[in-house]
Amino acid sequence: MHLRVKESIGPGRASRAHGLVALAGAVLVQTAAAQVPGAEDYEVPRTAFGQPDLQGTWSNAVLTPLERPPELADKAFLTEEEALEYQRRRREETDMDRRAENAAEDIFDAYNDFWWDWGENIAATRRTSLVIDPPDGRIPALTPAAQARADARAQYRQMHPADGPEDRNLSDRCINWPSAGPPMLPTAYNNNFQIAQNEEYVMIVNEMIHDARIVPLDGRPRGGVRQWLGDSRGRWDGDTLVVETRNFTDRTNFRGATQDMQLTERFTRVSDDILLYEFTVDDPEAFTSPWTVQIPARRTDELMYEYACHEGNQSMFGILGGARAAERAAAGAQE
Amino acid sequence: MRLDAFWRRLRAAVAAMSAGARAAAATLLPAVMLAACQAPMDQERATPQTAPPGATAAGATAANALPRNPDGRPKLDGIWQALAAANWDIRPHAASHSPVPELGAIGAAAPGLGIVEGGEIPYQPWAAERQKENFADRLELDPEGNCFLPGVPRATYMPYPFQILATPAHVMIAYQYAGAVRTIHMSDPGPAPANFWMGWSVGRWEGDTFVVEVTDQNDQTWFDRAGNHHSDALRVVERYRLTGPDHMLYEATIEDPNVFTRPWTIRLPLYRRLEENVALMEFKCVEFAEEKMYGHLRKPGTGSAANE
Repeated sequence: MHLRVKESIGPGRASRAHGLVALAGAVLVQTAAAQVPGAEDYEVPRTAFGQPDLQGTWSNAVLTPLERPPELADKAFLTEEEALEYQRRRREETDMDRRAENAAEDIFDAYNDFWWDWGENIAATRRTSLVIDPPDGRIPALTPAAQARADARAQYRQMHPADGPEDRNLSDRCINWPSAGPPMLPTAYNNNFQIAQNEEYVMIVNEMIHDARIVPLDGRPRGGVRQWLGDSRGRWDGDTLVVETRNFTDRTNFRGATQDMQLTERFTRVSDDILLYEFTVDDPEAFTSPWTVQIPARRTDELMYEYACHEGNQSMFGILGGARAAERAAAGAQE
Repeated sequence: MRLDAFWRRLRAAVAAMSAGARAAAATLLPAVMLAACQAPMDQERATPQTAPPGATAAGATAANALPRNPDGRPKLDGIWQALAAANWDIRPHAASHSPVPELGAIGAAAPGLGIVEGGEIPYQPWAAERQKENFADRLELDPEGNCFLPGVPRATYMPYPFQILATPAHVMIAYQYAGAVRTIHMSDPGPAPANFWMGWSVGRWEGDTFVVEVTDQNDQTWFDRAGNHHSDALRVVERYRLTGPDHMLYEATIEDPNVFTRPWTIRLPLYRRLEENVALMEFKCVEFAEEKMYGHLRKPGTGSAANE
């Protein structure tokens, strides 16, 4: 269960958040190539093994959209004033205690910031999208073959929305979520991840579904076994942890990617409070060009709790049971 | 420097020496003690050296031969697995039929000498009856069949490996089964805000033994496939102690006044997995439980059965 919702709207976080915006403003006058928050001379703390210390709990919750909205097509960064206005507007949209006439809509609208955790701030970089490459801030088009596969899947889903559990998406089934990944992307809640390190491994524990991704640093060869979450290998590139993941399955399907997606993630601690998380998706079978996302993850001192997604998955009973009830009702109407 | 910290550093300093150096150091004990006092920072930054398995000669005790982390604590880090067949039944048990006759010998319960001290679980009378009912209906009721998180201590002796990664702030344990994971807090995180499938774990060192108090588990998990059970008042105190570079002794004291007449203890060795490039693999078992859990809600005439 999602337990940290109440604290997330407390005044403590809000004041720290303003501090981060100010920090971002101060450093954005640096070189255009390194528009990331954090002092240039920041010295990354070290573990007892002498490696960069990325440990702690980090939150990917951010109001910045993954792709740049069309109305900002030519604008890669917001000014400080625009950023505050955008944050205010997004907060208002998500946090309103709305009521609707229709009961079903009313229930849906009842999901406000008590439940959602999109965060309170746009990215500390004040970028207008999390996608930073291509420069237009949009995910490149699918190749014709990948588009055909996506269309076929969509068509199948329309015909068979809930014949059985396999017809539902991986989130409904508690197998994977966009926030868990890899790669990790902000979503409606459970955006935290915890990093623990020893000399030989980095462990990345996702709040969503509690996956512990264990990344060996010893340069070992890859096996040939494909897994939902692939097979990660890590190395240090200066103070940056680089994690390369291969061997996904043909069912992992990250935004239309194939099982041969080559995922490269980079984790760089740019200040005590910001871990710059970047990933590049390279999959020429699926996308017309590689693309890169950048999320300045924020440190949180809040505890991360167990999210027993599958154990509490009453929705699957509701979805499948509802579909059968609808079929029975339709059959009854025909008779 | 506190005395216990001093001894810890001294042990670490000795463990990091070669066997020959250690023998020499025995005659130079005052110098070693001085080094332990003066160079704690260097010691903490130093690369830990894993003593070779045979390095108990030349005056070193077995404890000194254990692999240690830079803080001097025994290095529990690694991939471990139990071999006791305790997941079938933590009590002594003979091999027995599978609850699914179609599986033949593939599904037969493996025999085990048991891991419960004294062999018997001190159930209250009603709870002993409940275990028998659980066993009779285990195919339906065992949370393992639904791919549910296993709870503690069952996670330890399921037939899957688990990996320990120890840091100063947290000791993480990731289990291959169902991707279960525990964060063991090394400083008090305060009271648990709710019950959890994997409980609320707070760790401490007692000498070279890693002790974990596990509270706030729910009442949904079992101890094994035989239906041995507990309530949400369960309190488990785990003890992990390296007995060699590749072996660990695991003990857990089980208390639950709602279910048992007294505390009781389980004990079993854990073995380091030594295959080249050994790794926890993905066992996302949700998809293997879906037919069992949701099959009755399938659209008639669809699904895997219809395709065969």
